[in-house]
Amino acid sequence: MAMLLRVPEVAAGATSALLTEWLIPENTRFAAGDPLVVLETDKAAVEIEAETGAVLLRTLVPGGTNVEVGVPIAVLGEEAEAANLDAVLAELGVSGGAAASSGGGLAGGDSAAGAGSAPALVGGAPVGQSAAPVSGVTVRPGGAVAPGGSNGEAQDVSSSAGRIFVSPLARKLLKEAGIPAERVQGTGPDGRIVRRDVDNAIATAQAAPAPAPAPAPAPAPVAEAAPPRPVRTGFEEIPHSRVRRAVARRLTESKRDIPHFYVRRAAKADALLALRKQLNEVTPVKISVNDLVVKAVANAHLLVPDANVIWTEQAMRKYSTVDIGVAIASKKGLVTPVLRGVDKATPSAISRQVKEFARQADEGKLNQRDLDGGTITISNLGMYGVDEFSAIINPPQSAILAVGAAKEVAAVHNGQISVGTRLALTLSVDHRAIDGALAAQWMAALVDTLEQPLKLLA
Amino acid sequence: MPTRETLAAAAPWTALTTTEADWDAAAPGLLLGLFGQATWIRAFEEYVLELAAEGLVHGPAHASIGQEGGAVGSVLPLRSDDFVNGSHRGHHQFLAKAFTHVLPGDGLPSLTDEVRTVLRRTLAEICGLAEGYSGGRGGSMHLQWKAAGAMGTNAIVGGGVPQAAGFAFNQRRAGTDAVTVTYFGDGAVNIGSVLETFNLAAAWKLPLCFFIENNMYAVSTHVSDATAETRLSARGPGFAIPSWRVDGMDPLAVQLAMTEALEHMRAGNGPAIIEADVYRYFHQNGPYPGSAFGYRSKAEEQAWRDRDPIELLRSHILRRSLATASQLSVFHDEVVKTLREIGDSFLQADPAGKPGQRRIKASAWPDPGFVDVGVRGDLSELDGSRYEEVSGFSGELAERRFIDVVSDVLARRMETDPRVVIMGEDVHRLKGGTNGATKRALELFPDRVLGTPISENAFAGLGGGMAIDGRGRPVVEFMYADFMWVAADQLFNQIAKARHMFGGHGSVPFVLRSKLAAGTGYGSQHSMDPAGILTTAAGLRVVAPSNPFDYVGLMNTALACEDPVVVLEHVDLYTSSGVGPVSDLDYRIPVGKAALRSVGDDVTVISYLSMVRHCLEALEQVGIAADLIDLRWLDRASLDWDTITASVRKTNKVLIVEQGARGTSYGGWLADEIQRRLFDWLDAPIWRVTGGEASPSISKVLERAATARTEEVVTALRHIAEY
Repeated sequence: MAMLLRVPEVAAGATSALLTEWLIPENTRFAAGDPLVVLETDKAAVEIEAETGAVLLRTLVPGGTNVEVGVPIAVLGEEAEAANLDAVLAELGVSGGAAASSGGGLAGGDSAAGAGSAPALVGGAPVGQSAAPVSGVTVRPGGAVAPGGSNGEAQDVSSSAGRIFVSPLARKLLKEAGIPAERVQGTGPDGRIVRRDVDNAIATAQAAPAPAPAPAPAPAPVAEAAPPRPVRTGFEEIPHSRVRRAVARRLTESKRDIPHFYVRRAAKADALLALRKQLNEVTPVKISVNDLVVKAVANAHLLVPDANVIWTEQAMRKYSTVDIGVAIASKKGLVTPVLRGVDKATPSAISRQVKEFARQADEGKLNQRDLDGGTITISNLGMYGVDEFSAIINPPQSAILAVGAAKEVAAVHNGQISVGTRLALTLSVDHRAIDGALAAQWMAALVDTLEQPLKLLA
Repeated sequence: MPTRETLAAAAPWTALTTTEADWDAAAPGLLLGLFGQATWIRAFEEYVLELAAEGLVHGPAHASIGQEGGAVGSVLPLRSDDFVNGSHRGHHQFLAKAFTHVLPGDGLPSLTDEVRTVLRRTLAEICGLAEGYSGGRGGSMHLQWKAAGAMGTNAIVGGGVPQAAGFAFNQRRAGTDAVTVTYFGDGAVNIGSVLETFNLAAAWKLPLCFFIENNMYAVSTHVSDATAETRLSARGPGFAIPSWRVDGMDPLAVQLAMTEALEHMRAGNGPAIIEADVYRYFHQNGPYPGSAFGYRSKAEEQAWRDRDPIELLRSHILRRSLATASQLSVFHDEVVKTLREIGDSFLQADPAGKPGQRRIKASAWPDPGFVDVGVRGDLSELDGSRYEEVSGFSGELAERRFIDVVSDVLARRMETDPRVVIMGEDVHRLKGGTNGATKRALELFPDRVLGTPISENAFAGLGGGMAIDGRGRPVVEFMYADFMWVAADQLFNQIAKARHMFGGHGSVPFVLRSKLAAGTGYGSQHSMDPAGILTTAAGLRVVAPSNPFDYVGLMNTALACEDPVVVLEHVDLYTSSGVGPVSDLDYRIPVGKAALRSVGDDVTVISYLSMVRHCLEALEQVGIAADLIDLRWLDRASLDWDTITASVRKTNKVLIVEQGARGTSYGGWLADEIQRRLFDWLDAPIWRVTGGEASPSISKVLERAATARTEEVVTALRHIAEY
């Protein structure tokens, strides 16, 4: 029986999406779970996976087309039905004429192949469940979400009405656990968050991840100084991956729309390195310098809460929890997952969570909700020997901290020259949200914490 | 050509008129007593109207001015152990009964301290003040002073009459020759409660006098508009009740008729009717004459005033030189002065009002915190009870048929408590009533198992009267729960409210057995579950035993409790068997204690009565682990919130299961209460299983479709499992 594939609601409230490409050509058989098509919104690029196996009989919309939610984009069925497809379409209530535009499609194999390299982040988010009827075929978004695909706003996971449904008990438990409802996937009727969802969320937050290789904090793509590849005679054109496109667009927007300014400090790192050594003697998880920096940033946010803000057109949004993004260069690209409630987390818990994020990113299993929120991101290129650098803010956050290498330097103190280890820090700040003096105060708090690292354990 | 024979009613119907000789023969003390009390009553009523005109009486003031002759003529022959009750227009009879109770003898009465207290407390009650007999709750229309035999006036026309039969029942059963007089007007003589009670009192030969004050107007409707036989005592012979008709403006005639009626009643010959033609000089209520409202003429009013009962007494007293005019004048002035003193003690100048305007002193009002005090008793009567549950039961247990333990425990209580009397339709026949509930009681105490006429309002009200008096513990049976609508006034307006309305202190140990019969094919008017309706009445306790063991313990508690308790029984359970006591029929189960029938974490299922078994069956089929709470006590005051709260906090999900139609269902208010008390513990909406929208039909398949049983619970549980 032929069925129509319709555009699901890719993200809450989204009424349309860009159909960027078909991932399989017409008249190709696919299995359940195979990605069929890529839909992109300003928040996400999502691979739509097949719910059941069938044949893509005809695409109704070519790649590069903007499509409304609910519109039919393809006919799925069995080979036998291909012969009189127009009749089938008429039966399904779709004019044959509309279907005629498919033709060449975007069967660009490179694109299809490229899809595989995207960090697949979320599976099974029910964002499409309440979307348009799909004539018996249910699809679920299974594609990738580009880095920075967060806007810090409440993600509607239940309906287009713009609110999250939570049972009274679940609401209470969420509050007690300090977990925003936005970060929990509801599995009750109509996506309502019920007790088991909260229980799962708490368990996930607390569970120690399986031992994983320590991820190397990776170069942030948001670094400014990425020189173009030298080209001499002729060149090779490498098609953009969706991640590449999204990074490009968002960082362009960031640099265009956000008035950046920069504050630089160097922190004495000797005590910090000594503490790390001590910690690693007693904790089962290997704690990195970066993990301690993450904790120190949280501490600075606590000391200077006015900096824990983001700019929105309507109002300044000041957060009561400290959520911090970390840039991770995964096998599938760069991602910036967000650590929650870092102010209450121990360095070892931070370390475990970062490792877990890295593992998930490598496997393409990061959740969209892990990418949302936060007021600041930390990008660390110290392991590449970078002295210092400036980074581009990851919208809608208000700051990004670029961390260079810890290096021995000759330092002058009270007229005496001595040798010490210094960590170079550059904070990029959104001037709409944070003024220079406030940024300086915050930086002072950060440096103070790094230089007296026992504060991290207090 | 048929032959004809003129028939005569078995009971006499007599018009009694006094002659000059009767007035000459009347004892001086009697005439002075009649005059004195009538004068006090009129002065009192005139003062009430004065206060009403000042806006100081909240609600209606139904003045009896003009009707005093009927009251004093009928009350003076009574003793303190004789009872009266009355209607909305009852100040005069209440005062006469109270005066007679506190006065030492006959003759022109003196304003003793006791009399002043009667005046003071009555006035306070009418004004709604704390010093009133009912703490101001009852007001003008609910005057009760049980110690004086004044059992309560009533704002429902005819509503007090069935209870009077209950008082009379107790008086006779106590072995006394005391009687009850129930007062009502021409407007009440056509209402079912009154006619049903005529019949019941006559059938059971109760010492009850129906005293009809025929003042010709039900508000503005003339008696001839309302009935073809305007001589209202004519109804008596139709019920084989000896009846008297007298001129109520002639207090001596009333006194003579009552004396004859008392002789008849005290001799054990059954009830009597006295119709007294009287006239209220004013409108239904307030200080204006009826003619001002256009339904009668000034000339008619003047004609009746010319026959004023107090003037008649005065003229004979002066004629016989029993007192001087100035003595009588001084007597009148004294009570007027006393009433003003009493009134002044409640009142003060209103600083916000016009000059001379008064208001009630703040200190005289009841405390607003008194509003719900005494809706029901404090259960202290159950102190020292031996409470038992199946687990740990000290006696012997066996598989018992439900209906057998019903029969056994009722008989056992009759054995230990001579106050217990069973009444209902057919309970005295069929070897134990329609279902066998009175089998054992009939074997042991046949004279205490009373088959009633089919008149639920009368026999429920009679039971209520027995309970309000307190010397009887009625167990009233409604053959079908739906019949509560027929008796709704007695059950809801009278029995359920009596304690609170009369000040919150009088107990009402009334037990109603109400039988649910959905599934028997008796159709729309015999198949309801009354729990939802019964529990709207604050004064009623409602208990729903689901098994033989519980029935014994809960019935024992119900019969020991001083509050009215409705015991729900389901026909499905009668023939079922379950664990019950072999011989120990004396244990109780506490008020307000539910039972957990199964334990589980998935959901809290709340049910009662026959649906408990259906829930257990459903849980087995679905394989959900549930707390199954058998509520046992359903009314809001007796609900076991501890058990419900602990369970909901554990499971976070609630299913309320009942059998009957949605409109009258019980679970709605419970769900409402749970969501308010336990909102933060709920992980899902509160689910409910009920019957359908309409009442069950007679057709077997339609009846099945309209009621909930195991399958409906299974469906609900499956839904919950998927939640």
